Amino acid sequence: MVLETVPVEYYMVLSAAVFCAGLFGVLTRRNALLFLMSVELLLNAANINLVVFAFYWGEITGQVFALFVIAIAAAEVAIGIGIILVLQRNFGDVDVTDATTLRW
Amino acid sequence: MSVIYELTPAIVLLPLASFALALFFGAWLPRRGAVVGSLATAGTLGLSLATLAWLLLTGEPHNQTWYTLVDADATFDLTFGILIDQLSAAMLVIVSLIAFLVHVFSLGYMNDEGEPGLPRYYAGLGLFTASMLAFVIADNLLMAFIFFELVGLCSYLLIGHWFTEDAPPSAAKKAFLVTRFGDYFFLVGVVGVLVTFGTAGFAGSEGFPVLAEEAIAAGETFFGFGAETWFSVLGLLVLGGALGKSAQFPFHTWLPDAMEGPTPVSALIHAATMVAAGVYLVARMYGFYALLPTVLAIIAFVGGFTALFAATMAVVKDEIKQVLAYSTISQYGYMMLALGAGSYVAAFFHLTTHAVFKALLFLGAGSVIIAMHHDEDMWKMGGLKDEMPVTYVTFLFGSLALAGIFPFSGFWSKDEVLFETLIHALGGSPLLFGAYAMALAAVFLTGFYTIRMVLLTFHGEPRSDTAEDPHGVRWNVKFPLSVLGVLAVIAGGINLVPVEKLSGGSLHVAFLEGYLERDVGLLTHGEHYSELLHDHAGYTSAYVGSEVTTLLLGAGLSLGLALLGAGSAYGLYRGAVPTRHTEKLGGLRTLLMHNYYQDEYQVWLAEGFTVRLSSAADTFDQGVIDGAVNATSSVSLSAGSRLRRIQTGIVTNYAALILLSLLALLVVFAILGGWL
Repeated sequence: MVLETVPVEYYMVLSAAVFCAGLFGVLTRRNALLFLMSVELLLNAANINLVVFAFYWGEITGQVFALFVIAIAAAEVAIGIGIILVLQRNFGDVDVTDATTLRW
Repeated sequence: MSVIYELTPAIVLLPLASFALALFFGAWLPRRGAVVGSLATAGTLGLSLATLAWLLLTGEPHNQTWYTLVDADATFDLTFGILIDQLSAAMLVIVSLIAFLVHVFSLGYMNDEGEPGLPRYYAGLGLFTASMLAFVIADNLLMAFIFFELVGLCSYLLIGHWFTEDAPPSAAKKAFLVTRFGDYFFLVGVVGVLVTFGTAGFAGSEGFPVLAEEAIAAGETFFGFGAETWFSVLGLLVLGGALGKSAQFPFHTWLPDAMEGPTPVSALIHAATMVAAGVYLVARMYGFYALLPTVLAIIAFVGGFTALFAATMAVVKDEIKQVLAYSTISQYGYMMLALGAGSYVAAFFHLTTHAVFKALLFLGAGSVIIAMHHDEDMWKMGGLKDEMPVTYVTFLFGSLALAGIFPFSGFWSKDEVLFETLIHALGGSPLLFGAYAMALAAVFLTGFYTIRMVLLTFHGEPRSDTAEDPHGVRWNVKFPLSVLGVLAVIAGGINLVPVEKLSGGSLHVAFLEGYLERDVGLLTHGEHYSELLHDHAGYTSAYVGSEVTTLLLGAGLSLGLALLGAGSAYGLYRGAVPTRHTEKLGGLRTLLMHNYYQDEYQVWLAEGFTVRLSSAADTFDQGVIDGAVNATSSVSLSAGSRLRRIQTGIVTNYAALILLSLLALLVVFAILGGWL
């Protein structure tokens, strides 16, 4: 199998790269949709780690967790899209920096 | 348990029921609650007499807990219970008799005069009687305290009965506050007794007086004090309540003002309830006081001093009820003196005869006040003896009893108080001579002011139009007066100790002494107290010559002084138009009319000292205590309002913060873990 031939460090680097891309998106973007996508990237970076280590150690637990994360991500997107719709309705925009009225 | 003790709670519940009925349905009751009240107190009187008779016949006392307020495993139970021994059984009869007669008299004084607020008045009388009776049968100090307070509350309500006028509410507040000041010490004393002994029961070998006796014998220490010192502190604290209620110096100031209340209420307060409660409390826990020579000496001195002090003020008063008020203070001084001088029997004897003749005098004064259309100034009376013979004769009997003239009841009891004080003073307690001298001087003054009062009220020419044509009184006034008038003459017969001693012991006529000394197994009998007094306080009897010589000397001295006082009053005030002799006293009269400026100094104490102290405390509270609290909260507030700025509401900032924090955490772990 290809997986066996590729050293685990490579997967780590890939996961770190995806995570950094996601983090960059979260830190710099103002568009809520892009925000959601960046969060997906963050979650999937974690998923890669879980799957790789599960395979590496011959343990199924990590894969199960990856499934959980996917389910949670789906739920999160559902809620996130809902919030974005409300943002659009109230502010006429999906800019996350506009919605600051509930802070204090 | 015999049937009669099953019925004991009814003694208290009957007047309580009359209270409830008069309070809620008074307007629809016959005579606005007077009938119900009279019937209830008559029932109480019957039950009390039955209880007394039962105790006399069988010698079986009653001491039982009826209700547990707080059931505590670790500390002590707080309970209500009933204690019927010789003292409480006799006191029940006194209280219910006076209460019954006062109810009947009130028909004449309140109903016939068309006074307002009658249901409220009879409700007050009912509650007053009920709480005093409950206080009398209390088997422990806590219950006694609760009903002691209730007695104080009722006197407040009744003194302030005519609350629409200016003076009565003020007098009521004063009575309440002054006695409350004493009760404050009492409350601390109750807590102290409970903490020290784990029980507040009065009687039996489990009662706190017996425990105190054992603790002193075992030489125990409490909180670093010797047993006797600590018990003296407790005794003095409880005594504070007794002095307040019994109007002893310096707490006597409330009592003359309390004359603002209706006269039957004054009779009840002075003869049987409020004021008697203080003396009764000391007698109730006499097994405790008998262990404490210091406290006994204080009681004796306060009593002797009060007897003289109040008698001097009574000499110059112009209003009939004022004279009686000061005489009450003075007579309770005698009772306190008797208790302090170690004669429990004499104190209770004087309490009994005083209850009879003082109730009689107040009701007589009430009758005079009805006749005079509520004018109390004796200088406007005069010549009433021909107009109201029943009142005159009974009032005269009461006065002679008060003055201590042979053979009226007051002579026997006052003489026994003085005699016991004298023999204990001779027997190695020379300090008692001081108290004895003051009490003797008071005998002279008592004779003087009593006869002055009688002469000014009933003799001579009428000095006003109302005195010439007084308002008549009906049976409901004459009946209580007649009952009490007869009793005032013969009540001394219950304890003719001098006669027994003169007969060499062959005539057994000291009934009360035999009754109170009898051992019924509760350790509250007089003989036990005498042993305690002898062992702990060192009271022994000694005589000038023989016992009979001392007896005759003492009795002759007090009777001589009383007659001298009475005779000088007669000489000064007997004419058809008596002169105002007291005005010749000049500055002394001013001093006496102002009651030695006691009110002024107490007001000064309240305004100059207490108010200032409390305003200083207020400043401290507002400035330092509240200041510290406010400073803490304002620091938190301002810190919070600055810190909340980091909550921008922009999600990117939060993400950045989380990231930076995570990195910082990693760096910290790296440094601590030694990776770097």
